[in-house]
Amino acid sequence: MKRLISIVLVLLLSLSVFTPILSAQEKIPLRVAWWGSQDRHNRTLKAIELFEKKYPNIKVYPEYTAWSDYWTKLNTQAAGKNLPDVIQQDYAYISEWATRGLLLPLDEYVSKGIIDLSNVAENSLSPGKIGGKLYGVNLGTNSLGFVYDPELFKKAGVSLPKAGWTWNDCKEAMSKLKSKLGIYGIEGITTADAQVFKVWLLSHGYWLYSDDGKSVGYKDDKFFVDWFNLLLELQSKGGMPSIEVDAARGSLGVEDMFIVTQKSAMALLWSNQLVAVSKAAKERPLRLALMPRAPIPNARPANYLKASMFFSVTSQSKYPKEAAMFIDFFTNSLDANKILFAERGVPISSKIQKALLPFLGSAQREMFTYISLVEKNSVPVPPPDPPGANDVIKNVWNPTVEQIMYGKIAPDKAAAEFRDKVNKILQQK
Amino acid sequence: MSKRERYNNITGYIFISPWLIGFFVFTFFPIIASFILAFTKYDILTPPRWIAFDNWLRMLSDERYLHSLKATFYYVFTAVPLRLVFALLVALLLRPTTRLTSLFRGIYYLPSLIGGSVAIAIIWRQIFGLDGLTNFLLHLVGIKGPNWLGNPSTAIWTLIVLAAWQFGSSMLIFLAGLKQIPGSLYEAASIDGASIWSQFIKITLPMLSPVILFNLIIQIINGFMVFTQAYIVTSGGPLDTTLFYALYVYQRAFQNLEMGYASAMAWILLIIIAFFTILAFKSSRLWVYYESEGIG
Repeated sequence: MKRLISIVLVLLLSLSVFTPILSAQEKIPLRVAWWGSQDRHNRTLKAIELFEKKYPNIKVYPEYTAWSDYWTKLNTQAAGKNLPDVIQQDYAYISEWATRGLLLPLDEYVSKGIIDLSNVAENSLSPGKIGGKLYGVNLGTNSLGFVYDPELFKKAGVSLPKAGWTWNDCKEAMSKLKSKLGIYGIEGITTADAQVFKVWLLSHGYWLYSDDGKSVGYKDDKFFVDWFNLLLELQSKGGMPSIEVDAARGSLGVEDMFIVTQKSAMALLWSNQLVAVSKAAKERPLRLALMPRAPIPNARPANYLKASMFFSVTSQSKYPKEAAMFIDFFTNSLDANKILFAERGVPISSKIQKALLPFLGSAQREMFTYISLVEKNSVPVPPPDPPGANDVIKNVWNPTVEQIMYGKIAPDKAAAEFRDKVNKILQQK
Repeated sequence: MSKRERYNNITGYIFISPWLIGFFVFTFFPIIASFILAFTKYDILTPPRWIAFDNWLRMLSDERYLHSLKATFYYVFTAVPLRLVFALLVALLLRPTTRLTSLFRGIYYLPSLIGGSVAIAIIWRQIFGLDGLTNFLLHLVGIKGPNWLGNPSTAIWTLIVLAAWQFGSSMLIFLAGLKQIPGSLYEAASIDGASIWSQFIKITLPMLSPVILFNLIIQIINGFMVFTQAYIVTSGGPLDTTLFYALYVYQRAFQNLEMGYASAMAWILLIIIAFFTILAFKSSRLWVYYESEGIG
């Protein structure tokens, strides 16, 4: 008798373990991953709450990190076949992930209307298309720029940056800022991988990589030498923080930059970061200037319109339809975009852009204005980086920058070494 | 083997099976896998590709690899002696057991408990940062502190100091060793008129030498595996001066997705550590005195 009672009790207990699981199965679990600043995390989480209200049968499990940790985590998840359903993607990695079959083509969801892209220009979609199929939906357009504090410029009596300004104009402004106010002119250039060197080359009419992706894209090492001589000059004159200062600062959150503490008049930024930086600077009016052009006659613009980031659906996802619905919500929901507030860049839907205009804060308005300015002053988006680019940046470019800026090697010697090392890496891929 | 004996054996294996399973799954098989992967090119996202000795040869011409060797050796051969010296000194000071010495033993042991902790490393980074505690204190006495983390000559020393600060666990082991030295030896020595210094050299050190050997080997092994501190405080440091071996392996493995190359590097580290451990053991015949062996 005792035995019978205990068996029955055990069965009841085990049933009670399963019932919560059974009821939880009614909600579809959707894992979404993104990188960003704390500001972005807060906004995205609120937008997710709205999504869950609209679709009460879906429960979203967010996974968010800073940029520096994102890809390490994602690669590990990919290896463990444990990727989230929706992942934020970047132009630098999306073609690699798509060709490895890790991403789901979204075309069928577009044609079925689950992802409504009727208000989106083709140009905004094309960066996410690989081999003719759509692998990522552009979350916002952005471009590189120098964010600057117009108050500091006025205080130093320096004229504000104009469209078409060159590095010579920029240097002049920075030396005046230094002598009048004792602050840095610019920050963030040495820690931006090779982004600024790339647009320097674009302005000269070249690109870092050759068309076949097997070698360096410029023939004359003069471009390399001139660039680093420029940086060394800025460093020695106090126009930008010395490499020692940058090394001690480490990888910064947007909230820790010198421009926020008014120790620098300008900073290198992706235009969509203006929202977070303005917030950190307590909504002090900051503006965006175009990247300076090369100091040569007939220099081309040093800007291009970039898809700041994408949302992609992973091929292993068990709920691709719900994942697609999530992406559609991000793209087309006005309420969500009022919260997200273009923090990832100018939204691609023209309907959303128009609807947001009356609500925009000054930072967002400045960003929208900047993107329109870039549309008129840009070169076409360069091709995606070739395989091996990551190795080039992490193991050749960054150490080379350190060695030159610490004065351990002269730019002309470094130029030849750089070329050799990069070609070697690219040819092995 | 009788049926009963076999039954006992099997029962024994079943009892330790959780540990056995854990050992094989998480330690043994990964070690074998890592050895095989060291001969391949493997980026996680696609299957491994056999490339024989390419990874091993690559290390010889990899500039950053040579930097990492230099940084790691520099660290091991400064941090380990410093740590042991501090551990022995403080152990000697805290040898008599009073309430006060017990309190201090606990205080000095604490830093080594939180050893590879991320939180400590983050705080350490703040302390030696541009506007950090160290320079603030130096400023109070009128010295302008250097850029500890940004200057290639000083960055590694912030990590060496961090290691030396965590001497507590070695200190406790020295304390235990000191307690085992019979007091009668010291009494006899002082009656014969030996000074404190020669008592230290002729009694304490020899009697302590097995413990010194133990601590030396443990600290050398740990020293070569240093990772967390470099990852957080200096991220490999200005000009690769703090690019410790384990950190470089991590970068190659997880940032560059070169698992094969990283595995090969890991096996070389094993060989290096084994070499120094064997060296320590072999040399111990010259300087370690085991009481049980009599006059030695």
